[in-house]
Amino acid sequence: MNPMEFFTVAFDALRTNRLRSALTMLGVIIGVAAVILLVSLGQGTKNYVEEQFAGLGANILIVTPGKIETRGGPPVIGATRHKLTLDDARILEKKGYLFGGVAPVVFGTAEVRSGARSRNVSTLGVTPEFSPVRNIHVEVGNFVTDSDVDAKRRVCILGRTVKRELFGNANALGQVVKISGARFRVMGIMERKGVSLGFDIDDIVFIPVRTAMDIFDTDALFEILISVRNKNDIDSGKELARSLLFKNHNRHEDFTITNQAAMLSSLYTILDTLTYVLGGIAAISLLVGGIGIMNIMLVTVKERTNEIGIRKAVGARNRDILLQFLLEATTLSAAGGLCGVLTGMLGAGAIRLLVPKIPMEVPPWAVVLAFTFSVFVGIFFGVYPARKAAALHPIEALRYE
Amino acid sequence: MGSAAASEPLLLLRGVGKVYEGEQPVVGLADVDLDIFPGDFLAVMGPSGSGKSTLMNILGCLDVPTSGTYEIKGVPVTTLSPEALAALRNREIGFIFQVFHLLPRYTALRNVELPLLYAGVGREERARRALEALQAVGIEDRKNHLSNQLSGGQKQKVAIARALVNRPSLLLADEPTGNLDSKSGEELLAILTQLNAEGATIVLVTHDLAIARNARRIVHIIDGRLVTSEEYRERRG
Repeated sequence: MNPMEFFTVAFDALRTNRLRSALTMLGVIIGVAAVILLVSLGQGTKNYVEEQFAGLGANILIVTPGKIETRGGPPVIGATRHKLTLDDARILEKKGYLFGGVAPVVFGTAEVRSGARSRNVSTLGVTPEFSPVRNIHVEVGNFVTDSDVDAKRRVCILGRTVKRELFGNANALGQVVKISGARFRVMGIMERKGVSLGFDIDDIVFIPVRTAMDIFDTDALFEILISVRNKNDIDSGKELARSLLFKNHNRHEDFTITNQAAMLSSLYTILDTLTYVLGGIAAISLLVGGIGIMNIMLVTVKERTNEIGIRKAVGARNRDILLQFLLEATTLSAAGGLCGVLTGMLGAGAIRLLVPKIPMEVPPWAVVLAFTFSVFVGIFFGVYPARKAAALHPIEALRYE
Repeated sequence: MGSAAASEPLLLLRGVGKVYEGEQPVVGLADVDLDIFPGDFLAVMGPSGSGKSTLMNILGCLDVPTSGTYEIKGVPVTTLSPEALAALRNREIGFIFQVFHLLPRYTALRNVELPLLYAGVGREERARRALEALQAVGIEDRKNHLSNQLSGGQKQKVAIARALVNRPSLLLADEPTGNLDSKSGEELLAILTQLNAEGATIVLVTHDLAIARNARRIVHIIDGRLVTSEEYRERRG
């Protein structure tokens, strides 16, 4: 008997008990759909977080003043012994052959005023390098230039939110705003970047770094951002920056270099684990669906004892009977798996449409895994009833009514 | 009968016995010697519980004896595996049961195809041969009816077609007229007689002498033993 014949027989048997087959499949459908939905949620969350950090770039080193012993995390206030200065940035730029760009940053909060409107805004003192290193760009006008920095020009570039709050829809380019009481000319508007981890990147004003040092009355940098040209050189780049600064700081390691990627990888591990746990919990419901299949197959074998006897009498071998019932169970679970995949994907799509805030991302591996798992569930839970059917004695089976 | 005895026996039973194990072992069959030749039409007669069903099950390779030897075409059946027995049933035996034993949700044609399915015959060949078998018993006009839409007589004709379809060496009929009205019963016996005339070997199991008389020879069975007709009349009478 060739495999297609077995399929025909299995399909016929399932068709005669439509409602029962559908209900049994429902267990698998729910299981598979749950696996796909929950894994999609986990994966979506991970992608969401990844996206939020994507602006920072995986090839970025962040140098902050002060040394702390524990890894990761920001430096503790008061731990600073030596400041980071523009000289440090200059050395890194000059001798850092692995670096694509070095961007010193001065940070402060300042009141920005335009006419009657004012707003307290994070203000970053930057060099032209900041834009390519941090991968954010002006939408209109120009970013800070080298001559702006050298001449300590009072020019500023507004983030989208700041521009909207101060100027509304009116043109801001070329206008004058007051930052901490000083007059600044607006020479650029940043492109929209949105909210990243609760921090509105568009609610920022950029000014030249030396100008910022004057305004905030400091010669210390908040941080130095370094982009490493080749992603694979991130570790050697970190070591290079360390040795350059070490030398420049009279052999004191009073600074901390953190690697964005290394910090994030532990977070991703947690999110991956979350995905697997969610998938695992959903897989339990798939297992329950499998038990449903086993249950119904046992009933089926009992009901069709006479049929099994007839088939055996006309020459069906135990193997034929075993395969027939195994295939029925597997057809149930595979069909359930297929419907479950569809339900899960449609569900994920519907959630994305109705509640866009919930991150949903259906990973192909989850679809393949859930479907494969459902097929194996059918085989696994189908074996026992099928073996029971195959082991029936033909005479007993024929006598059974 | 004389001409049949000249050839090799198709079925050969020597000292065949069957004991059903249990708390109290039950003897189903004891020391049966029987030869059945190609072209035979044998009736096995006995009251219920006499062991005639046990004998039929053993002849049909549905069961194996616990003692003695049973050979089909010289092949000792006693030592065969369940898989080999299934193959033997498929090739050599056609069953006709009292309660028909058709698959209720299958059409007549598909019921008749069933032995061919397990013989590994392809789809078209199967349909062709099944139709031939239905024609042989004159019920080809019902080929697309579900078997539970057929009358008793029609069902039994389909069952005969199924028994014939794989061209077995032996037709085994167990009380084939037991669930039929007398007209259908007669029609059925006529078909069996006709098939035998065309060369089929038939073993008919019945408790009814009127039916047994259609056969060329009759053996009697009581308490699991074959007895002479005189002894049978005495014990029954």
